[in-house]
Amino acid sequence: MSKEAQLSIAERDFILEALRQDVRLDGRKPDEYRPLNITFGEEYGHVNLQLGKTHIIVRISAEVTKPRDDRPFDGLFNINMELTNMGSPAWDNGRSNDLEAAVTHTLDRVIRHSNALDTESLCILKGVSCWSIRADVHVLDYDGNLTDAACIATMAGLQHFRRPDAVVRDGKVIVYGVEQRVPVALNITHKPLSVTFHTYNDSKHVIVDATLKEEQAAEGDLVIGINNAGDLCYASKIAGAPVDAMVIVTKTSIAWEKVKVLNAAIDKVLQADLAKRAKVGMADESRAENDREVQPE
Amino acid sequence: MSAPLVLLPSDEVPREHLPSNKSNPLRLGPGLRLLSQPTSQAGDSNHVLTATQAGLLTTDAKRNTVSLLSFPNRRYVPTVNDLIIAQIHHSSIDFFHCIVTPNTAHALLGQLSFEGATKKTRPQLKQGELVYARVQSVGVGAGAEVELTCVNPATGKADGGLGPLVGGMVFDVSTGMAARLIRASSASPDNTDAVEGLVILGELGRKLESLGGFELAVGRNGKVWVDCSNAGESAIAVTVAIGRCLQETDQHNLHPHDQKKLVTRILRDLKLAS
Repeated sequence: MSKEAQLSIAERDFILEALRQDVRLDGRKPDEYRPLNITFGEEYGHVNLQLGKTHIIVRISAEVTKPRDDRPFDGLFNINMELTNMGSPAWDNGRSNDLEAAVTHTLDRVIRHSNALDTESLCILKGVSCWSIRADVHVLDYDGNLTDAACIATMAGLQHFRRPDAVVRDGKVIVYGVEQRVPVALNITHKPLSVTFHTYNDSKHVIVDATLKEEQAAEGDLVIGINNAGDLCYASKIAGAPVDAMVIVTKTSIAWEKVKVLNAAIDKVLQADLAKRAKVGMADESRAENDREVQPE
Repeated sequence: MSAPLVLLPSDEVPREHLPSNKSNPLRLGPGLRLLSQPTSQAGDSNHVLTATQAGLLTTDAKRNTVSLLSFPNRRYVPTVNDLIIAQIHHSSIDFFHCIVTPNTAHALLGQLSFEGATKKTRPQLKQGELVYARVQSVGVGAGAEVELTCVNPATGKADGGLGPLVGGMVFDVSTGMAARLIRASSASPDNTDAVEGLVILGELGRKLESLGGFELAVGRNGKVWVDCSNAGESAIAVTVAIGRCLQETDQHNLHPHDQKKLVTRILRDLKLAS
């Protein structure tokens, strides 16, 4: 039960044959993503992402903790992801599988180890207290390309999240509530995203954003993590059939194009959401020219 | 046609809604179960038909069938006499173990339940091959095994194209869509549009006739097998076009008018429209 049902011979043959003619089952081009839909919840850092039928929710949360002894100036940042039965009947609760390990590893490398979130800015008081930022990734529905979807959702969440303001006064840490002081955005140094490619027919055909069926028919995959400036921060070719070096070079430039487009899409929804929030903010509510609500007796 | 009747699980089917054709035995479709109810009265009135899921009662007077039109589920529950597309998982001495729905218990298909199969001529099916089969029995109680067959036990023939499916492609649709497709194909051509609101297959058939047409098998477990090997060079594109038309109609619940537009758009997309 813990395995994804295998593809039938007919499906595999057909997908490979179709790719030979540059046709994908849903009519996309080889380097075209599925429709991406990002919405934000009421709270800061709550992202609801749909990439085709893959559906992910990310929650960012913050709490004050003690920094690690060996890094007194650094805050903590963790990405947690668990594949549960909710996402696919093929996954068992509480038991990790290869997919979970691979996706968690990629997220860790692309976002955490590339220092997308400046952990030094999370320090409140040296060696005493710092912010611990935690990203929880929940998969609600799975139809391929979990890595990219989780990456986009996490990055969107980090950019959307606002942590409470905290100051140090007389050696004491004071954390202000969201109502008392305007919460603070996280310090994002750069915006890396991962782009996953799948290869077919001796890496003659390489596609992005494979659906589950396409993933199952693939002979190998290639993950590239890159940011808007074109800095490569992660490249992995862990398993599957070998890929020509030139393919990696050309695909890296395609990945760069894709990341720019995806980041632009994230920015657009972020701006729209912030504009919406600005309207219903506290400042607006307390304006003198607003109508007074008459309290019923 | 009388007003539609919605039944909830455990609701009884009112007697006056049943077709009154006495020449054939009444046939039950999915979602209905015959229960005998102990009553004090004598006679045949102690049998009641109850619904096992929520849905719309539909009857066919000509074929004397009554069935429950349920909602598009993602999970398929096998019912006797359903036509399904199963995938071979592995074989044992007497049976092929088949996947009907991913991640559920395997269904059994007898090695000899094929047309004209004997110990020597039985088909050698490998893992991952597909068969078009009929649900023979679903057993009783939890953990019961579902049995499939590829022949009509009365005639020993494989009617309706039962048997291994070679080549082609399988597309996933909702179980509700699969049921609609089956009903639409069994209804008489002139009232298909009115009953099911599905004109997509007729439209595709008309437009793709010049390219060699296509072959299609619908499984109640939400799978549609499409084969266009007659279409020659454009076979792949035609198959993809049919799959996309079916899936989009299913996902967006398109009206007949929109279905026609969709066919035109997708065929133009794949450069198939002449």
